[in-house]
Parts: sequence; structure tokens; C-alpha cells
Amino acid sequence: MKKIVAALAAGAALLATAGTAAAQDWSRIRIATEGAYPPWNTTNAAGQLEGFEIDLAKDLCRRMEAECEIVAQEWDGIIPGLTTGRYDAIMAGMSVTDERRQVISFAGPYATEPIVFSALKDSPLLKLDFPVDRVDYNQVSAEEQQALDTLAKALEGQTVGVQVATTHQNMMQEYLPDVDVQTYDKVDSIALDLLSGRIDAMLADSSATRSVIETQGGVEIFGPGFTGGPIGIGVGVGVRQGDDALREKFDAAIKAATEDGTIARMTTQWFGFDASMKE
Amino acid sequence: MPARLRMLDFLDLLKFGDAGWGDELLRGAAMTVAVAVGGFLLGQVFGTLGALAKLSGSRVLGVAADFYTTVLRGIPELLVIYLLFFGTNLALMRVARIFGYAGYIEIDAFLVGVLAIGLISGAYSTEVIRGAIMAVPYGQLEAGKALGMRRGQLFRRILMPQTLRFALPGLGNVWQLTLKDTSLISVMALAELMRAANLAAGSTRNPFLFYGAAAVLYLTMTSISTYGFERAERHANRGVRRA
Repeated sequence: MKKIVAALAAGAALLATAGTAAAQDWSRIRIATEGAYPPWNTTNAAGQLEGFEIDLAKDLCRRMEAECEIVAQEWDGIIPGLTTGRYDAIMAGMSVTDERRQVISFAGPYATEPIVFSALKDSPLLKLDFPVDRVDYNQVSAEEQQALDTLAKALEGQTVGVQVATTHQNMMQEYLPDVDVQTYDKVDSIALDLLSGRIDAMLADSSATRSVIETQGGVEIFGPGFTGGPIGIGVGVGVRQGDDALREKFDAAIKAATEDGTIARMTTQWFGFDASMKE
Repeated sequence: MPARLRMLDFLDLLKFGDAGWGDELLRGAAMTVAVAVGGFLLGQVFGTLGALAKLSGSRVLGVAADFYTTVLRGIPELLVIYLLFFGTNLALMRVARIFGYAGYIEIDAFLVGVLAIGLISGAYSTEVIRGAIMAVPYGQLEAGKALGMRRGQLFRRILMPQTLRFALPGLGNVWQLTLKDTSLISVMALAELMRAANLAAGSTRNPFLFYGAAAVLYLTMTSISTYGFERAERHANRGVRRA
């Protein structure tokens, strides 16, 4: 399924660039989000979209003096939807990665957060000792390497659940290739299988993991938080390749919102910690 | 199951209005019925045309109908939906660009959904209807002709009523498949039942409750329609003695 989507995205991107868009003043922008990834973006019981990215999108649109429409789109197919022109931008907790950059461009990033492992409360994985609480793949120190080795050893023969087509999956493939990986369509499905004991651990954004812990209980985070490298430089606004004017508009608005502390305030409100980009 | 959530809070999630998901789920179910009925009716049009093409004796029509049923029944429903959903938009915009229109065109997700479900449902119906037409003894048509009936009369008085009777059990089956296939169009973010359940499960992190509720709603819809088809079959068979 991932392959199907990827192939469609690639094909669609080719066709879309072939038909280059005419000049647009971007006074109207359509933004897609997933609507099922709290606290980034979620849907409330009244059926309305809400979350950090919904607030941020409104703020950015005000800064860009654009009229925005926010539409919900399933995660599967969110990139083909952009390249085929169903909407102009994606704000859906999507990390900026080289793989995605081959198909779309990114403005930002506007936020970042470490990704973490979690396991059931009685799992032996929670008893592991790590020398560091943060691993930055861009510059791995001796201590961080030690932490990675401990993890690789402890997870040998175990199964880790990740959301499909995410940076989390890339991290498992690149840095922990000997660990069995089970992919899921969404974080809830991973949590379900973790709680039922079908998998031993899950790897997800710390905010999504916290949200699982809060609502389901029985799960705890273990090991360091991971950033950099395969995880990407943060979460950005996805736009079509070639829509440079739109990308620059978003970039300027994100810069302003970062500098005046708007993003720091919004992420603290939604995540419980400041996830804005630091210099 | 979340230990911290008491049973009452749990059921609160299914309330109607802005505080609960009950109305979202029911509206989703209504959308599911709308897409399924639209898709099924469209499917009957495709199915009838396909069956007539296959039985027409024309080589071209026969090959075209064979191609249709082979392809649509041979590739996964989800793939058909992806191709139509992303493909139709792209194709339309490209055509529009040729004529110098650079703006954005959106094809309604509901229409694409009905078309996709209709194409799939039609492919299965083709075979059901073809089988039903063939089950009508040819001698009856000859007898009608001998009595001087015109083509329209033959169709209306002999072929139609009996074809319907033979086709009903098979079509009931196709209807159930069609109803359940609509869950696949949740990938287009059309707010049908599966999508509503997905959103509610994701946003509240209570998957069991909402997928369970969706299952109950699907089962209700299929049970009611099974009963409906049974009634219709009994009506169609009213003149036939049962062994």
C-alpha cells in the first residue's frame, strides 16, 4: 500500500510539473491536515478540526494575509493529494526528510520534538539504564553511541511498532535494522497492539506517546529521545515543488511566528513543552 | 481498556451534540447509505449494460464488457478508488490547462466515491444479471414471438420479471459487498461512517468504543437490507411453487 501511494505520488508529481501552474497571488490557500493526530491536529466531538497546527495555520494565514481553508485528509494519500492539486499545503505533523523532498518542497520547519520508545509498564525494557536522555543523529557522541548499542541489544528479537511511511520507520531501518518492525496506519493501532501484547515496544513522537499514556495508561516511555539524522530537521509545511512563491510566504510567516514567541506559546499550550525551533 | 475512564464517561463519548460523537457517527452512517445506494444504482446501470453487451453477440461489445469485468473485479477495490480519486482530478486539471484555465478544479469526493463504488458494483452485477438473463428459457421468448409480441413486450412481459427473480439473490449479495466497500472511500476523507469512526478513535484514543459502534451500525444496515431483499425475493417468487 505504501508503495502504491509512493508510485502514485511520483507519477502525479511528474504530471503536475509537466503542466506548470500559472502565476498565483496566493490570497486563497487550501491547507490539508490529518485530523487524527493529537495534539498536532485532531477532531473534536463537534466534528471540528483543532490542535496546534490548526491554531498555527490560522496565525500564519493572518500573517500572509491569505484566506485559508483547512481540509481533512487521511494520512495515506496526503502527499498525492497535494501533488494532484486537491490542496496547496500540508500541515499534518509531517517531518521534513530527504525522501519526501524528492516529491514535495517544505517551508519551515515550524516545530520539532524528539521521538521516543515506550513499552508496557511491566516490560523489562523499562529497567534499562541509559547514559544520556537525548540522541542527536547528526552528531553521535560516544555516550550516545553507547545508548544506541544498549538499545540494539535489548531490542534484539523484539518487535517494535511504528506508523507506516514515517521518519520513525526510517530510523528503525537505518539504525536498528536487526529489530523486527511492524508498521501501522496510525498511532492508535500501534497502541492497541502494544496494550494487547502483540508487540514489545512502540516508537512515536513524544507528544503522541504522551497522549496515549494519558488516555490509555499502562504504558511508559523508556530510553533517550531521538532527533536529527533520519528523523529530519523538524515538522514543516509541505508545498508542491515549483510553488516557490507560496513556500517563501510560509517561510516568512513561520520565521515571524517563531521570533515573536507565538509558536513557543502555542506548543506549550498544546504539548506541555516548548517545541518551537531554536537557533 | 482505559482504567481511568469510568463507564459513564465512556458512554458520554457517544452523546449527541457538540460534546459527543453520536451525531457524527450517525451522520457518517447516513453518508454511507447515500454512497452505497448511489453506487449500487449506478452499478445496476453498468451491470445491465455489461450483461447486454456480453449477450449481444457483437464482438466489440463483448470484448469491451469482458475487459470491464476482468479489470474491475481483478484489481483491489482500494486501488480502483485511489486511481479514480487522484486520477480524475489530475486528468481534468490537465485538460483544463490545455484550454488555458490554470485555476483549481475540485471534483466532489461524494461523486468520485459513488462512481468508484458504482464501477466495482457494476462489474459484479454484470455477471449476476448475465446469468439471470441466460436462466430464462429461450423457448419462452420464441413462444412470445410466435404470439406476435414485439421486442418491447417480450422484454417487459417475459424477460424482465423472470430476470429480476433469478438475479435478486445474487444482487442482494452484491449490495452487501457494495455497502461494505464504501468503508474504503474513507481514504478520500469523505465523512462516511468509517472515516467518522477513524476520526473519533484517533482524537479520543478510544478505538474499541468507536470501531465497536461502527460495527454495530454496519451490522444494523446490512441486517435491515437482508430483510428487505428477502421480502423482495418472496414477492418476486410469489407465482412460483416451491419444491
